[in-house]
Amino acid sequence: MDAIRTEALTKHYRVGFWRPRPYVALDALTLEVRQGEVFGFLGPNGAGKTTTLKLLMQLIYPTSGRAEILGRPVGDVAVRRRIGYLPENPYFYDYLTAEELLDYFASLFGYAAAERRRRVASLLDEVGIGAERRLQLRKFSKGMLQRVGIAQAILNDPEVVFFDEPMSGLDPLGRREVRQLILRLRDRGGTVFFSSHVLSDAETLCSRVAILAEGRLVASGHLSNLLAFQVRGWELVVTGLTEAALERATTLGHIARATPLGAQHYALELPITVAPDGVLSELTACGARLVSLTPVRETLEDYFVRQVADAPRERGLGTGT
Amino acid sequence: MQVVRHVALSVFKESVRDRVLYSLVAFATLLIGASYLIGQLTAGQDVKIIKDLGLAAIAIFGLFIAVFIGIGLVWKEVERRSIYSLLSKPIRRHEFILGKYAGLALTLLVNVAMMTAAFYVVLAYMNTQASDALRAVWPAPAADPGMLRAVALIVLELLLVTAIALFFSTFSSPFLSAALTFGLWVAGHFNADLRNFEVVVESKTAAYLARGIYYVLPNFAAFDIKAQVVNALPVPPTYLLLAAAYALVYIALLLTGAVLVFSRRDFK
Amino acid sequence: MTRRAAVLLVLLLGSVLGLQAVHERRSGPPGGTAESLLYVRSPEAMKRMALSYHSLLADVYWIRAVQHYGGTRLSTDPTKQYDLLYPLLDITTSLDPHFRIAYLFGSVFLAEEPPGGPGRSDLAVALLQKGLRAQPDKWEYAQAIGFVHYWWDQDYMQAAAWFRRAAEMPNAPNWMAPLAAVTLAQGGNRASSRRLWQEVLNNAEADWLRVQARFRLRQLDAMDQITALEALIEEYARRVGTRPRTWADVVQAGFLPGVPLDPDRFPYQLDPASGAVTLDRKSTINPLPIESSRRR
Repeated sequence: MDAIRTEALTKHYRVGFWRPRPYVALDALTLEVRQGEVFGFLGPNGAGKTTTLKLLMQLIYPTSGRAEILGRPVGDVAVRRRIGYLPENPYFYDYLTAEELLDYFASLFGYAAAERRRRVASLLDEVGIGAERRLQLRKFSKGMLQRVGIAQAILNDPEVVFFDEPMSGLDPLGRREVRQLILRLRDRGGTVFFSSHVLSDAETLCSRVAILAEGRLVASGHLSNLLAFQVRGWELVVTGLTEAALERATTLGHIARATPLGAQHYALELPITVAPDGVLSELTACGARLVSLTPVRETLEDYFVRQVADAPRERGLGTGT
Repeated sequence: MQVVRHVALSVFKESVRDRVLYSLVAFATLLIGASYLIGQLTAGQDVKIIKDLGLAAIAIFGLFIAVFIGIGLVWKEVERRSIYSLLSKPIRRHEFILGKYAGLALTLLVNVAMMTAAFYVVLAYMNTQASDALRAVWPAPAADPGMLRAVALIVLELLLVTAIALFFSTFSSPFLSAALTFGLWVAGHFNADLRNFEVVVESKTAAYLARGIYYVLPNFAAFDIKAQVVNALPVPPTYLLLAAAYALVYIALLLTGAVLVFSRRDFK
Repeated sequence: MTRRAAVLLVLLLGSVLGLQAVHERRSGPPGGTAESLLYVRSPEAMKRMALSYHSLLADVYWIRAVQHYGGTRLSTDPTKQYDLLYPLLDITTSLDPHFRIAYLFGSVFLAEEPPGGPGRSDLAVALLQKGLRAQPDKWEYAQAIGFVHYWWDQDYMQAAAWFRRAAEMPNAPNWMAPLAAVTLAQGGNRASSRRLWQEVLNNAEADWLRVQARFRLRQLDAMDQITALEALIEEYARRVGTRPRTWADVVQAGFLPGVPLDPDRFPYQLDPASGAVTLDRKSTINPLPIESSRRR
């Protein structure tokens, strides 16, 4: 059984008040997320990530298609007991404290008072909220609210967790904590489905990703598979490289660009057309020493840019106006 | 049911924190200040005026709480997106609506109960200040428990107003909801005129239409027995029962409507 | 900075108070005083606009009526009129048809002779009859109608009839039937007047009404004393042959232990020519009511 499965999930909105035109927020998304996976749901802003998550939470209803979580249709209250959800830029009740908010949400799961106290205390410890837990939420910063949002999402030890932009509003330390939290959830056997437009998040965490642009799924699979064949060159860092050797290699077309890093210390960009070991031996023969050699992959950013450039401009239904 | 209770309690807690109960201070100040001033202004008979004022103030304060919290109850959750995390919990949308309603109803009940208590304290004090001769000619004692019947109908009216405000708040902005709710409240008081519309118009269609509207609009005038209890006129128990049944059925209708609208809504 | 702000605040506050004082001295907005305006004259329209708060609005109009009556009464303007009094009371009692005190006190205000009131006993009776239409078995209204007929119209037949109707209404006090009988038998005499005012005093629910009743009872005391003193003067004249010139003559002759004082502790005045006894002009129980039997 898959943790999450969608079949041709589609959502149209009507935009414009006087002459409503359909706007395709999500176009026939078919996706499977296996249990125990950390699944990255990637795409630029406005790609339809949040729409998908809202459809999975049944905050909005699909125009067509279907979605299941843990083998049950979304919206099944029994399923809600087994999942957690962090909305994008979460916001809660101004006049409740962090403790009260979590206690309230825990009560919706039917936990007894003692159990609620225990869970709330340990969760707030886990997301790093200390004495502030007795403050009303209107006094919380964005990053603090994000932490509260994460806490409420994992309140019920969920089997599947949905995080919409979990890193947003957090400082680098907070981001690292969230990454560690996601890995802990995975180690406990949970499934984590998170959306992000920040690439490094996905690269360090995900086993598989789906990439969304303009409401359409443009790629999915293992991140390494998706990106490996996209190696578009090499970066070679050497020291002890003489001007003459550099000039010769450049005229031969072996070096696309050289960036001086210090005296006789260069970062060299090799085009994909040359074999890096050949260039390396050629340079070491002239007295240069190797510092590092790394493949240059297309970044997700480039990928987004390319996909967006390829995608059709018009995002309506194509019927014209 | 448990879920509804928890939602209701959180609404209550939040509205208490949101300084709704400050209105009670305003109420008590108004009543005590007025009872002093009115004693100076009028030639005696201040107890009747304090009773009128107290009951009217309970109704008005309650009305404002019902409308201004009622219109924001659902709208605020949607607007601020707090509903996103809430609805991902094991809670059905109708439980959310019923919980919100119950929470505001609880807030109103506590408010009205405290205002009524303050009201009776002021009246009991006035009773100690009155001469025996004066007490003898009052149509009803100062702290007359019979006035609780008027308070009970005020509560029913407020519960109905709350249901109206909640219903509008499931699909429209607070400003529009407030306008619509107050509009219905005013129209509900002119109701009796609609029934006898054929007296003023020639057209039969217009008269039928008016009569139809008369039956559909909430008849708020039915909940007003303030003058009757203050003047110690009889109010038959069947009247109270009928008014209560009317309010409850109307509330059930509005809440059903609110649930139907809300269950189909997309939270963009 | 904060000190400067504080000074500014105080200055502005002072200016506000000063301008308000100027406004006050010029007695409000131009073009007539607000007091003399009655924006809505139709009680029915008023009732519509009150929504469910007509009872409270009735209180507001009652307070306006009291203020209008009291203000006009205290006014020194010789052309003063109580022309808003009845419309205000009419609106008050239309908004709250069971406003007991508006009928009872309102009728007292309306019936009072100028300059203390408009002297409209007809409107007083009309107001009370409106009350009886709303609550037909309210003995207090019937008694009040009888009172207006008795005291202001000196129509003792009507008064007795209304007192009898009041006596037959539920919860009427047991002194009502004798009052009707006394009024019918000896209407206008001091004994029945005294009885009427004594009952008003015993049952008054407002201090001003009690003061009024005590005042009337003191006047009746004075009238009794004047009658007795005039009889004494006649007796003196019969015995001595001439009328006394001063009270000293009467005292010396042993008819009185000292100079007689009215209930307000002022000496009575003696007219040596006619033998008539009158109140001192400074006495607060002036002017004595004119009795029908004594009308000249």
